[in-house]
Amino acid sequence: MLKAMLIKEFLLVLRDRHALAALFVMPAIFILIMSLALKDVFGTDRALMTYVVTDNSSSALSAKLISNLQESSLLKQGDSLAQFRVDIPDGFASSFQTNGSLKKLEVVVEPDVKQEMLALFKVELSMALMGLRLDKLQSDIGDFSNALDSFDLDPESMVSVRFANLKESEHPTSTQQSVPSWIVFALFFVIIPISTIFINERKQNTLMRMEAMNISTPLLFMGKMIPYLIINQLQVWVMIAVGVFVVPLFGADALTMGDSLPALFVLSSALSFAAISLAMLIATVVQSVEQATTIGGIINILLGAIGGVMVPKFIMPEFMQTLSNISPMSWGLEGFLDIFLRQKGVEAILYESSALALFGVVMLSLAMLFYRYRRVA
Amino acid sequence: MIKIDSLVKRYGEKVAIDDLSLHVKKGTIFGLLGVNGAGKTTLVSILNGLSGYDSGRVEVAGLDLRENIEQIRSKSAFIPQSLAFYEQLSVLENLNFFAGIQNIQSSKIEDQINRAVETSSLESLLYQSAKTLSGGQKRRLNIAIGLLNDPEILYFDEPTVGIDPASRNEILETILSFKKSNKTVVYTTHYMPEIEKICDEVAIIDRGRVVSQGSLEQMLECKDKETVFDLFDTPLQLLHGMPLVSVIDHKTLKLNTQDTDQIESTLRELHMRGVRIKQIRLDSSTLEKVFIDLTSKEAH
Repeated sequence: MLKAMLIKEFLLVLRDRHALAALFVMPAIFILIMSLALKDVFGTDRALMTYVVTDNSSSALSAKLISNLQESSLLKQGDSLAQFRVDIPDGFASSFQTNGSLKKLEVVVEPDVKQEMLALFKVELSMALMGLRLDKLQSDIGDFSNALDSFDLDPESMVSVRFANLKESEHPTSTQQSVPSWIVFALFFVIIPISTIFINERKQNTLMRMEAMNISTPLLFMGKMIPYLIINQLQVWVMIAVGVFVVPLFGADALTMGDSLPALFVLSSALSFAAISLAMLIATVVQSVEQATTIGGIINILLGAIGGVMVPKFIMPEFMQTLSNISPMSWGLEGFLDIFLRQKGVEAILYESSALALFGVVMLSLAMLFYRYRRVA
Repeated sequence: MIKIDSLVKRYGEKVAIDDLSLHVKKGTIFGLLGVNGAGKTTLVSILNGLSGYDSGRVEVAGLDLRENIEQIRSKSAFIPQSLAFYEQLSVLENLNFFAGIQNIQSSKIEDQINRAVETSSLESLLYQSAKTLSGGQKRRLNIAIGLLNDPEILYFDEPTVGIDPASRNEILETILSFKKSNKTVVYTTHYMPEIEKICDEVAIIDRGRVVSQGSLEQMLECKDKETVFDLFDTPLQLLHGMPLVSVIDHKTLKLNTQDTDQIESTLRELHMRGVRIKQIRLDSSTLEKVFIDLTSKEAH
């Protein structure tokens, strides 16, 4: 009995080109686009801020200041659209030499620049000025200044940065951020084919006919869920393959997988169960295919937006980060980030997997109750 | 084959089946007639275990329905009015699926499919997608699915809705052929000529009750036969006080019998009054008349 039901469900999905596009093509394209779009955000060699300098001092000192700014890896000289405009005032060099009050540099900031960027720019500017002061100090104390020759202001020489749970040479990439997000999103897209097929079966009385053929409700639900559990696993591996093999072809970093395949299997199964159970509930509650695609689509996008799929959680305000905890997509995403980004194993994802499984059990129970209630009514 | 005693089914306050009793003999084609909402579909749902009931006793193939629903279902087939199969699948894929989900021995599945295909004349359409079939072919596939478990009882819920007359005839012939294999058929429809063509027995259901049940002949005989006199235009005063007949209008008289003495007597009376007769008709009874008569009586 179950075999026939599985074959039927697979044939129906495989012949639905729109469903296949939503389940496989769309998330693969998302992974590609988002990995490329966010490549620079996660890149470690990217200039974060643009600036222009107006040198009213026209002195060797102001030229040295400009040179110091150019050496910063975080800054890039821009044009009229630059975020920061630095005015070196006339008399800057003389005020510097006289040990009197230094003529202040004036910085004009574009209004859309965030506070943390402004703070960072001020630090970079201070570092450039500090370089000038060190040069002057060195010339003032002359031969006694050998010790200052080896004084290096480059942060790289003073601070060693390593990302937690990654090897020394590794750093998080846009691909490692994108692939988990879009895997989670793609898995929940099963809502649409499941509910569409189920509603058509109900409207055509195929479900009624199956019941008259002694198909019980648990068997009916099992016959629908197992194929999608398999399809979800396929989706996970197709998305991973896109991250590993396709994304690098377009210039972004390849996905580096964690070491724990069991963790990946446990988490993706729990997430899949949650997504399919939610789909079954929607399928039993709504009345028409139109409602299913609309409601299913809206729920998917809302859960994704809240859950940090579309906008990374770390850039959300605090209350949104708290709110994101209500989305099962957020639990799944955290789990995948543990595996891909933090290189953790089964133990680390047990909490998220249990939450997803519990969510699935609740949704599935509600779906079965609603299905039986509807049938009796 | 099917015995129903004092069956009652309520939906909240509404009584859908009201103390209904019915007996369907093995090997008969049994017609269920009734207007929309009369309770036909509810009755068929109950008989297939798709709906419960509040009181009464239902026995199918000698088994109590409530206690043996799975066993009864394996002996019966429900062919719904809607096309309850998958349009995305081919004819053969549909048959394989519906055969696969039933408790049919795997060694017998192929034979059962072949038999259903042959009975429904689907041999040339096996690999065709179901959505490309004509309306009549789809109806035949709908029936073929119902034959897969070689049922003893078949429930048809208006199987000829929306198809052309030629396909309708094919389907009726298919259903008639079940008599040869001694299958019992319960057939609900709105089309009375179909009942007259294929059914051995009929039950007329009105507001959840059986208002009449019997063989087609019995049902047609119970209705009084009439003789109709069609007249040329006649002043009504000429017809006033005519014995035996009912005056319908200035052109029509009706005699509630086909007795020749009474017809002769009426003809003499009309001749004496100088009434000119256009024609005399012996009005035969039809199931439709019986149905309208019985259900309208109940309404009053």
